[in-house]
Amino acid sequence: MTATMHEFRHSAFVAIEDIQLQSALEGATHKFGSGRTDALAEVPEVEAMRDHFKKVRSATLSQLAHHLETFEKNATAAGAQVHWAATGDDACRIVLDIAQRHGVKLVTKSKSMATEEIHLNQVLSKAGIEPVETDLGEWIIQLAGDPPSHIIAPAIHKTRHQIAEMFTKETGQQVSADDIPGLTELARQVLRQKFLAAGMGISGGNIMVAETGSLVLVMNEGNGRLVTSTPPVHVAVVGLEKLAPTWDDAAVWLSLLARSSTGQALTIYTNIITGPARPTDPDGPQEVHIVILDNGRSKLIGTKYEEVLQCIRCGACLNACPVYREAGGHAYGNPYSGPIGAVIAPLLFGLDKYSGLPHASSLCGACKDVCPARIDLPRMLLELRADEVEQRVLPWWESMSERAAAFGLASPGLFKYGTALIRQMQRPLAKGDKLNLPAKLNPGQSRQTPALAKRSFHDIWQSGELDNKNGGE
Amino acid sequence: MSARDQILNQLRSNERPAEHPEPWRSRRNFPDLAERFTQTLTAGKGEVIRAANFEAALNEIDTILHELQAKRVVVNDTAPLDGLDVGKQWPDFEWFVAGKSEGDIKSFCAGADVGLSGADAALAETGSVVVSSGPGKSRLATLLPPVHLAIVPTSILTSDILTWTAARQGQPGANRVLVSGPSKTADIEQVLAIGVHGPKRFIVVLYDD
Ligand code: SF4
Repeated sequence: MTATMHEFRHSAFVAIEDIQLQSALEGATHKFGSGRTDALAEVPEVEAMRDHFKKVRSATLSQLAHHLETFEKNATAAGAQVHWAATGDDACRIVLDIAQRHGVKLVTKSKSMATEEIHLNQVLSKAGIEPVETDLGEWIIQLAGDPPSHIIAPAIHKTRHQIAEMFTKETGQQVSADDIPGLTELARQVLRQKFLAAGMGISGGNIMVAETGSLVLVMNEGNGRLVTSTPPVHVAVVGLEKLAPTWDDAAVWLSLLARSSTGQALTIYTNIITGPARPTDPDGPQEVHIVILDNGRSKLIGTKYEEVLQCIRCGACLNACPVYREAGGHAYGNPYSGPIGAVIAPLLFGLDKYSGLPHASSLCGACKDVCPARIDLPRMLLELRADEVEQRVLPWWESMSERAAAFGLASPGLFKYGTALIRQMQRPLAKGDKLNLPAKLNPGQSRQTPALAKRSFHDIWQSGELDNKNGGE
Repeated sequence: MSARDQILNQLRSNERPAEHPEPWRSRRNFPDLAERFTQTLTAGKGEVIRAANFEAALNEIDTILHELQAKRVVVNDTAPLDGLDVGKQWPDFEWFVAGKSEGDIKSFCAGADVGLSGADAALAETGSVVVSSGPGKSRLATLLPPVHLAIVPTSILTSDILTWTAARQGQPGANRVLVSGPSKTADIEQVLAIGVHGPKRFIVVLYDD
């Protein structure tokens, strides 16, 4: 999938017409947004804590190689096996290799944006290995064949009726759409069998803690504990930027993550994994593998886009964004949506393919205000727009008209003759004071571009008519 | 060049000196840790039962197990229960003691009604209980049964995650989990549902020691 300007506009307009989706987006983003405000208000000196966190993230990225090596050393000492993947394909190959070596047929997965990013499920399925998503929202969209529509609530675009129908189709059991506990219980029973039968568990990772070589996973459902405790092998795929040098840093990270995300002080489970089960442990996986994923991240270090790697994927910027709240996640054409998606997708997957995303913003700055790491997303959206012009990824007519406009606006004379010319040219399209543009130029047709007025304000001013009207008191 | 070297070299070529900030310390000062713990965990749909001492806590556990009509109970063989012969103490139930009982712990846990554990620490701010793996300490015991029952002395309460990490010592075991309530989800139309994959009830017996 991609999201060029035309594609983004088109899918956004489809989303805006979808009344059900609009109310789901409104409900979820409002709930998360106000939950966030309340949860942070309860923390002493929280603004200073965010400043501190920003410094931690920035200092960590400046010395990332050093911290990753420390992580590798300590994780290895604890018995974990650390792998490095330069690309998404490499990461998939590493995971597939491990699965095949153990003759795995069934894999349980906990929610992971990194594995969405590299399309791991498709690779496993093709090799005859069944991947089962176990986060309830992820399972729902897996059954539906949809991509996630929100970083932390992947199935907000699905209604209870659609979900009940899919569950019935999948399990053969009748369930009422109005019985949400019943739907949840059914998912519990079906997925519990998968957990117990799986030969391997795959997770993402919220934080790699260098000091002890530990991996931190946060969740509410408990599936991320089952995925990492029940099968004999656990594989985690983690973006290389998700690193905290010490537990002090990780504690601040965790203090901000759930509060910014769902408005909880901590998620129900904060699961910390340091190597495989020890010989004296009664249970737990025999092997733990950690795949450190680059996939375009390392080349951002030292550039004007480095800051985007400070992201902890809390989703707060999505909930705050007026564009996301209307357009929904799917319009972004990749697993990362909202303001963070608009910046990171072009950087990781190509500006040409995602050229619409830097424009999917009103630059209101709400994302920066709510970001726990105070990431300046609006700045980077502008940088990306500038890059688009420089790299000429915009359609020729768009950059031509922008150049022409810049030229015309710079000279009063040209402006006058230019507008006079447009007044003549717009005639066939003008209908009253509106323009009737072809659909390609005005997707959705819900708003009409106004036509140029018959006389310019400059003209009217010069004629003195305004003096007569308003000057008579 | 290996992927590892390629990635590390790329990162190193842009490495800059950086001042890592001094650790952020907790600004909390709860007058009563047990009170705050109880409030927060209860608000998060967990249950807290206070007991005056260890003996009283054992009685509470007895009452809870009977109320739950439990038949099969898996227990972690760890403080403060490790000196206890659970079969003698509570003969009405079938017990599996992690690290001691014969048989497959996974299948016992999958069919157990309650998992009983101790705790390493408890965080007042977030109403969290820290449970670790280790000898006699099963992960599945606190995960597969529909009820997780934890016995926690007030002496292991600490203010919050910042004070807890500040007091860390040595290398952790394979698994450590902070539990702050029963398993829950809001993935269907944002409606809260309790007990999706993990325990449906999380009950803490908090006793003064
Ligand atoms: S950019 Fe900031 S607000 Fe958005 S997901 Fe990342 S950390 Fe959260």
